Amino acid sequence: MAYQSIPSDKSLTDRRTFLKMAGAAWAATLAPQVAFALSRAQAVYASGFRSPNGAYGVALLSEEGAIIDRMPLPARAHGMTYSAASNRAVAFARRPGTFAMIFAPDGSAEPIVITSAEGRHFYGHGCFSGDGRLLYATENDFDGNRGMIGVYDGSNGFARLGEFPSYGIGPHDMTLGADGHMLVVANGGIETHPDFGRTKLNLDHMEPSLALIDTKNGSLIERHVMPETLRQLSTRHVDIDADGKVWFACQYEGARNDLPPLAGSFSKGEDIRFLDLPEETTLALANYVGAIAVNRRDGLVGLTSPKGGAEVTVDARTGKVLRQTVLADAAGIAPAKSGFVASSYDGRFGGTLSDVAWDQHIVRLG
Amino acid sequence: MRYRPVLLLSLALSAVLSVSAMAEDAEDAAPPRASLKQEAVPDVMAKAVDDFIRPGYRDLMEGTESLAEAAHVLCEKPSEETLGDVQMTFDEVVQQWSTIEIVRVGPVLDGNRFERFLFFPDRKSTGLKQVQRILATSDETATSPDTLKGKSVATQGLGALEYVLYGTGAEVLPQEKGGFRCRYGAAIADNLKTIAAELSAEWEKPDGIQKAWKNPGPANPLYRDGKEAATELLGILVHGVESIRDQRLRPFYAGIIKGEPDKGHPKLAIYWRSGNTMPALSANFMALQTLFNAADMQALLPKEDQSVVSAVNYVLQAIVDDADQIDLPIDEAIADDDQRALLNRILQNTNDVLQRLNLDFGAAIGLTSGFSFADGD
Repeated sequence: MAYQSIPSDKSLTDRRTFLKMAGAAWAATLAPQVAFALSRAQAVYASGFRSPNGAYGVALLSEEGAIIDRMPLPARAHGMTYSAASNRAVAFARRPGTFAMIFAPDGSAEPIVITSAEGRHFYGHGCFSGDGRLLYATENDFDGNRGMIGVYDGSNGFARLGEFPSYGIGPHDMTLGADGHMLVVANGGIETHPDFGRTKLNLDHMEPSLALIDTKNGSLIERHVMPETLRQLSTRHVDIDADGKVWFACQYEGARNDLPPLAGSFSKGEDIRFLDLPEETTLALANYVGAIAVNRRDGLVGLTSPKGGAEVTVDARTGKVLRQTVLADAAGIAPAKSGFVASSYDGRFGGTLSDVAWDQHIVRLG
Repeated sequence: MRYRPVLLLSLALSAVLSVSAMAEDAEDAAPPRASLKQEAVPDVMAKAVDDFIRPGYRDLMEGTESLAEAAHVLCEKPSEETLGDVQMTFDEVVQQWSTIEIVRVGPVLDGNRFERFLFFPDRKSTGLKQVQRILATSDETATSPDTLKGKSVATQGLGALEYVLYGTGAEVLPQEKGGFRCRYGAAIADNLKTIAAELSAEWEKPDGIQKAWKNPGPANPLYRDGKEAATELLGILVHGVESIRDQRLRPFYAGIIKGEPDKGHPKLAIYWRSGNTMPALSANFMALQTLFNAADMQALLPKEDQSVVSAVNYVLQAIVDDADQIDLPIDEAIADDDQRALLNRILQNTNDVLQRLNLDFGAAIGLTSGFSFADGD
């Protein structure tokens, strides 16, 4: 494999350091809770949350949004991913975080915590290879100011195998293409550095792009940059529809009274096409789409905006808006049996209200 | 009603409607939530601009003018006295910058102005090595602000000037007339003056950023409504506390770890060479308190939640008081039981005030999104 290699004991060293830092008490809570294993098997979704007491964790939820189980985390999580092939889910730390927790949703295996390599931090998203053996994570080489994809080996305790470039600055969300051999990466184009926290350092010269990367060797298949007039349109989240088409959602860093396109799609080998959303939908999304999801069976694309307090459903085939609702502090969105389920910072998850603040993303477990 | 269908552009799928029905059911279970006092926001934003941001940049502009003037006098008439004048004005500029640097939005982020004014931290000493190389090779292109501004950001700001004034070899400054080190320092001071003047000018333009801050609305290029504006303002406070804690405090002293005090890394402290570490930190926290009060953010609170204001003020003032009592050089302060206890209390209070601002204040003014600030994730 042509990855840039990292010493193999690095992840273990980092894990020890991390556990020392996080505290033994927290690590002890990661032991599998056998009593909950059966009920956990009913879990359909997972999402990061913050408790009323300020503690962070990951919750497993039923189709109705009822919380089945909670697992503590040392800090705030962001994106999540799941592999049915390996029955493993991952909660990634919010940027510029340095941990990711890999766990079996049914409680059948002990959770594993990995930490980012020296000189790297996680950007909050990642995905598995088709067979579930490899985990890919979007990462920041902050001194080199370049996006990287870290590769972790699920057959060896998720030790870091190596890395390759994301072919852009500020990679955020990433998903596996329909053929199982291609990564789709949203390079948001925004430069950040952990020394400056979450401050965006280059809003006046952003370079957003969407990159398709060959998983075999980390080489670039194709890269789509935003048009010159939309250089402040940060491409941030992606999903794949039933035809293998890439759907992407954006956050606009330009003037607030502009009405930029906020989502679009493309197939491999084609140019990107923006969704021509009605003005009232663009206004409702407040130039900021926080999450995107595709319901492949129903042919729908779902978008949420915490800034605008909106949830929007679009017909993937026609691009028409089918539904637009007010959802204050809208957070995550994921496919439901039909349509979508959405969550909010103030505790809504579908039809259920819980005493937690849901984080920005939901993952559907199978 | 916070979750309701507002628009149905075409006949939705029946399954989608069932999700909507669930949402309607959820409405019954929703607890009452504070809503933002939108009408109070423009005044608060105007006060933030007129009573904190604009004066802050004006002070910085005037301070850097004095610094540049003093630096040129030192080069022309080197003496212990003229060097003392430069060091004194440097201390003043550090105070002025440490006040206004909490505003990490707007023009200061354009053209790398922030990093050009202050490159910190310099974790691998990359910047320090660049400054030392300029001094070792007497690189004349660093002695003109026109060519200096094209060099690495680490060589043209406060950190570089501090090394020129206090680093190895600084003893030549009161002795050499027109010496290289002095002329490099004067060019840095000129560069700082230019950046500060640009920042002040941007904020003084009547139709510029100040207009956008004061008038949230649909046509506004920054804030479409009061909620977006209030979120930005509270974000300055919350992110300010986070940044000070994570980038300025913890790197040199991380507090009590497993019952033992951190041994510390005094050379990772900002401005350690000039003894400005704690004065700068004190100015940072004082600035947060000043902005909080000058903007009259209390006006955004419902009557029953006013107590959060006194709590925030109490904790911020306690931090400032503690910081002001730490008067030993930072390496000695970490080793001293009494002064280290003050550092521990500052760290505790920093976490406390962060919760009070982000959760208590944010929720009380109707911003549950204080949880996120929707800031690029």
